[in-house]
Amino acid sequence: MVKAFRKERIVWIDLMITLLVLEVMSYFYYGPRSAVLAGMCVSAAVIAEILSLRLMRRKFTADDLTCTSDALIIALMMPPVIDMKIAVLAVLFGALAAKNVFGGRRNMIFSPAAAAYVFVLTSWGRKLLLYPEPHTKTGLFDDPEGLVSSASYIYNTTGKVEHTDFELLLGNFTGPSGAVSILLLAIAAVMLMFRRNISVGAFLGVISGTVLFAAVTPVAGTRAGSVKYSLIMNMVLFASIYIVADRRIAPKREYFAFFYGLFIGIISYILVLTKALENAIVIVSVLLTPFALALKNLEKKIEMADYAERAALRENTAGAADLPEADEKEADPHE
Amino acid sequence: MNNRKTSVFDGILGDNMVLSSLMVISPVIICGDTLKNAEALSYAFTSVTILSMLIASFVPKKLPYTVKIIIYAMISSLVYIPVKVATQEFYRGAIDRIGIYFPLLAVNSLIVLQSEAKFFRMPRAKMFFSLFFYVVGFDIVMLLTGLIRELLAYGTINGRVADVDLPVSGLSQPFGGFIFLGLMCGLYRWIRSLVSREKKEMRSEPNVSDN
Repeated sequence: MVKAFRKERIVWIDLMITLLVLEVMSYFYYGPRSAVLAGMCVSAAVIAEILSLRLMRRKFTADDLTCTSDALIIALMMPPVIDMKIAVLAVLFGALAAKNVFGGRRNMIFSPAAAAYVFVLTSWGRKLLLYPEPHTKTGLFDDPEGLVSSASYIYNTTGKVEHTDFELLLGNFTGPSGAVSILLLAIAAVMLMFRRNISVGAFLGVISGTVLFAAVTPVAGTRAGSVKYSLIMNMVLFASIYIVADRRIAPKREYFAFFYGLFIGIISYILVLTKALENAIVIVSVLLTPFALALKNLEKKIEMADYAERAALRENTAGAADLPEADEKEADPHE
Repeated sequence: MNNRKTSVFDGILGDNMVLSSLMVISPVIICGDTLKNAEALSYAFTSVTILSMLIASFVPKKLPYTVKIIIYAMISSLVYIPVKVATQEFYRGAIDRIGIYFPLLAVNSLIVLQSEAKFFRMPRAKMFFSLFFYVVGFDIVMLLTGLIRELLAYGTINGRVADVDLPVSGLSQPFGGFIFLGLMCGLYRWIRSLVSREKKEMRSEPNVSDN
């Protein structure tokens, strides 16, 4: 139990390190407003967590700080110039309605960040999907100007990307403030995978599903281009690390988690291809939550069956250990 | 079930049909996004349910259960016709907005299930009052849901613009309705537990007059 608690905190620290690096990059491109947005989200998450834990008559412990990583994920999925009230409402929705209503961090059904994103998308979709150009610094209390559609939207509707690979790697294109820094995301993915902080199976499942379908039915002109841009655009890399591969949501066994991720990758790619649905992966990950729950139930059943089998085997071996004396006694007369 | 005494007022708080038993929740979730819809639904539900149950209470009790349920459904379907005409008159356009959930009120679970299980076992006068408060309980939830969801989702109250800074349009969607109803159920249970705890404490306090 103690090990499990320590593990949870270590996962949170690792996630926070990678998220803070993405936040620094966002600060570099969009200025202090991005940092203030992240700070507001984290503060709102901590307050919401403390209040809801008090209502549930539980104490706020260091493990409950995981709410801050969820808040930071939400902030990084939004345009840095979004109305602060919307961001705070999203965090409150994620912490209260998507997490604590179901019993808190030990009984999570949805990824709070994904549920909050879908909530904002349905309520303030226009504000969520318009972004400032990189290097456009908006003042804290200024109204944002010159907002444009994301590079993902242009890619989904036209199949074209007018950015160099270098720009794409560094995140120098319009999109959610944290989900565009592809190089950092790739490094974060490798680090988190090696430290077992994310579900490797789920992450590789999403990547495999997207790559497979992007190669078979390309959105862009060439297959290689389609594979490359399908991984970069629509928050695929970001969501596959921080939402789909979230250890609290994904099935425990890597084999099951792979198929969970694979289906999410395939379905979201089909939605992008047929409907040009921006950031479809986040919506699909919320919709496929019952699938993750079903796989988790299956895992529990398998564990129970294994346990019962092992117990039966132990009983048999204990019985066999008792038997030889009797066997020997019975065997002697025959000899 | 529980041993507490039943009262004719149970339908409002003690055993609210929507918040406690989760009956007739689909119109509340799907159509309860504006006060106008809520008013039309409350009017139709109240009229159809009370009139149908009053007429159905005269159906002979000796008939087989299945036959009685069929007769109740036929009675409520007949009652539905004038109620629909009146709704078209009083709430123009409401039936189109509400869609399939409007005719479905004619076979709501209060008429089809609870009639035999609960109401027709009571004396007729008590049944009428009890049924009335159950219907009022539904109406209160329906109107409250419509009012709050309209205010938060569209920034209006009964079609009039209210000063809402940031409308949450997700609340007008069915998923918003589910979440809102879930939160109302939680609040309802909390209030009910507070009331019952207070009653228990009052009962357990020593009677001063005895000393």
